[in-house]
Amino acid sequence: MTELSRSAPQVSPKLGWLTSQTQLVLLVTLFALCLLISLAAPQFYSVDNIIAILRQSSLVLIVAVGMTMLLIAAEVDLSVGASLAFAGVVAMDVTNKTSSVTLGVMAGILFGGGVGLINGLIVTKLRINSLIATIAMMMMLQGSVYLYSREAVQNKHLQPLFTWLSTGYVGPLPLPVVVTAVLFAIGYVVLRHTTLGRYVYAVGANEKAARLSGIRPARIKMLVFIVTGLLTGLVGVILCSLMNAGQPTAGRGFELTVVAAVILGGTSLTGGRGTLLGTLLGVLILKVIDNGIIILRWDQDLQMVIPGFIIVIASYLDLLRKKSNAS
Amino acid sequence: MQADRSLAGTPTEVSGAPAVTMTGITKLFTGVKALDDVSLTLLPGRVHALMGENGAGKSTLIKILAGVYRPDAGQISITGKLADLRSPRDALRQGIKVVFQEIALIPEFTVAENIFLEGYPTDRLGSIRWDRIRADAAALFARIGFDVNPDDKVGNLPVSKQQMVEIARALAHEARVVVMDEPTSSLTPAEVAKLFDVIRRLTALGMAVVYVSHKLDEIFEIADTVTVLRDGRHISTKPVSEHTHETLITDMIGRRIDNLFPRARGAAGEQVILDVEELSTEKLKGISFKARAGEVLGFFGLMGAGRTELAKAIVGFDPITTGRITIGGQLLQPHDTRTGKALGIGLLTEDRKSEGLMLDLSVTHNMSLASLERFSKSGFVSEPSEKSAVQAFVDRFRVKTPGLTRQIKFLSGGNQQKVLLARWLMRGLKVIVVDEPTRGIDVGAKSEIFALIDELASDGLAVILMTSEMPELLGLSDRIAVLAEGRLTAIMDRADATQEKILDAAIA
Repeated sequence: MTELSRSAPQVSPKLGWLTSQTQLVLLVTLFALCLLISLAAPQFYSVDNIIAILRQSSLVLIVAVGMTMLLIAAEVDLSVGASLAFAGVVAMDVTNKTSSVTLGVMAGILFGGGVGLINGLIVTKLRINSLIATIAMMMMLQGSVYLYSREAVQNKHLQPLFTWLSTGYVGPLPLPVVVTAVLFAIGYVVLRHTTLGRYVYAVGANEKAARLSGIRPARIKMLVFIVTGLLTGLVGVILCSLMNAGQPTAGRGFELTVVAAVILGGTSLTGGRGTLLGTLLGVLILKVIDNGIIILRWDQDLQMVIPGFIIVIASYLDLLRKKSNAS
Repeated sequence: MQADRSLAGTPTEVSGAPAVTMTGITKLFTGVKALDDVSLTLLPGRVHALMGENGAGKSTLIKILAGVYRPDAGQISITGKLADLRSPRDALRQGIKVVFQEIALIPEFTVAENIFLEGYPTDRLGSIRWDRIRADAAALFARIGFDVNPDDKVGNLPVSKQQMVEIARALAHEARVVVMDEPTSSLTPAEVAKLFDVIRRLTALGMAVVYVSHKLDEIFEIADTVTVLRDGRHISTKPVSEHTHETLITDMIGRRIDNLFPRARGAAGEQVILDVEELSTEKLKGISFKARAGEVLGFFGLMGAGRTELAKAIVGFDPITTGRITIGGQLLQPHDTRTGKALGIGLLTEDRKSEGLMLDLSVTHNMSLASLERFSKSGFVSEPSEKSAVQAFVDRFRVKTPGLTRQIKFLSGGNQQKVLLARWLMRGLKVIVVDEPTRGIDVGAKSEIFALIDELASDGLAVILMTSEMPELLGLSDRIAVLAEGRLTAIMDRADATQEKILDAAIA
């Protein structure tokens, strides 16, 4: 062991523990939050309330699965909020016109996928920074959705299946929660156990090294943009089903919630670092806070203030941890 | 306030009184002793070399002298007075200037603006006197003989010039002690000669210079005294005249290296594996050569000759304008590393940090990156077989790491390099291109890397070695090719090669 201590600087056991246990810290935070809220408002632990939290978390989490992969690959997509609104409008419109829920849902999802594809092309072919490219995409989508439809597209087809997408249950669990669980599990396995997942990390950690190792970073990035787009389309459809209308204004600020949750979960904006488990905990923490604010009857504007505050704290702690590793 | 007192200022007398004495310095990092009771005495007018392998404690000692770290035990006195250096600012005020290896300039500012960053001269109204900054910078460069335009934006300069600016910046303010941490790592031979001139002028003015380098030849040329550290402990301090290459290496690594370039392999084979015909890129002009199985073909060239460009073009990383690259009889698709890898060519990059390592990821993930397909079935990575392959290479290459899941950034440069070499060998290659394989690596690890390169060739790979280090070139190569300004100017057998011939071709 004496030989080893020479080659690598040692990290104290305590700090090393913290590094590998980002998720444990988040988990403790989550439990502490639940405990505090339930002390003040016992109804927090009702089955209905927990289901409500899961339902609210599910929409954010679906997109966050893609966003986590994007951030790990050192890219970001800020157009997801605008894209999901447009996808909902398209889904409702197509269902109205064809009376086919399948076609409507497909149209919504493919719309999102198409947006992802264009984002990916702009970023990998034109080499435009994804932050800028996707903000531009957000603006284009927010404007063009009104060119597509002046007002919200109402449900004229009255297909019960369409409403079931958001309100249905599989056993005791709402359908969106089940869909989320499945997508999350797939994403988890892909990132953790497949070559594709490894390549996503590699491209984000060091794109040149990845390319020198015979990987095609542009393809990996394209794929992750498209996956994020498809997931966004799906969420657009579910949200549209929930509101029973295609709202052009739906999903405003949604992209920030998603990115906030992913970053809170320990994924680095600079790429190469992050886990889906962290993202899951990040989403749950934000949504428990939301829920707490509502059941404690606090001012709802705090729903923006408190998460903002938490992100600053979390990022700062992350920085401290990195520093203690670096010495 | 001392901005206008420069190196032309009052020289300290070259007397026996030490400029700085560090006694019994001990520094702990989270319980591990990085420095253990180390003492160092710096005399005015002398060049004191500080040597040791990576992790020996050189940088910690320098950082303590620079006020970056505070020692846990020990004392520092400056011109006989006890000093407490709480911050780099304190150290600066006491006349200690450190030129760190990493360049710390502001790319968007001009050279002159960077040089006087620590205190711009102002007029009575408080506005900065840009004219004077420019004039002072020009005067400074004229004095020390550096060829840099003070009005150039630093970001537009090549790294070697940036380093000259960094050194000049240290000299712009009056200094008692100048510390240089591997100042020549990206300088051309001509620039190194200029730097040595500057160092001699500094010592003539009575400054004490601390010189940190891995390059033995430089130490013998410029230093008066050498202190060697190993594992955080002081090993020896002697006048350089009492040292030979061998004694210095023995002090540094604690054992003798009988032969830095072991050669176990036999003669090269006849079979041509890599055939490059009339290769041109933006930088390279019509380069043709062949490499055979089992041979080390060394490419020499001065900075900017095109070594790295050639390396990147033949592995398919950079686009080419014309030419053909054939590997094992099959044509390489240019600008596509994926087919390059499939044909069996890979590059060990000169720039480990920005092109090789994934710093935050583990040793395992770094090593297996190029051969993941080998460990996976229908896209799923089999972690047990990956792990056992990585373990096998860690054992074979004697990679020092506390574990396979250790983030690679915590390994020493030599061990990182072994991991990157293993990344390719695990995949299995026909041709490996190694670009400056020992840059930033200490002597002990260097000889291991050389032995590995020899082993690769004896396993039947064609090894293309790109190097600017003459001993490395002569010690490893079977044949030597020389590049100058993007052209291949000579190619010769090792037996016919002499330093003079090679340099002649490199300057042509």
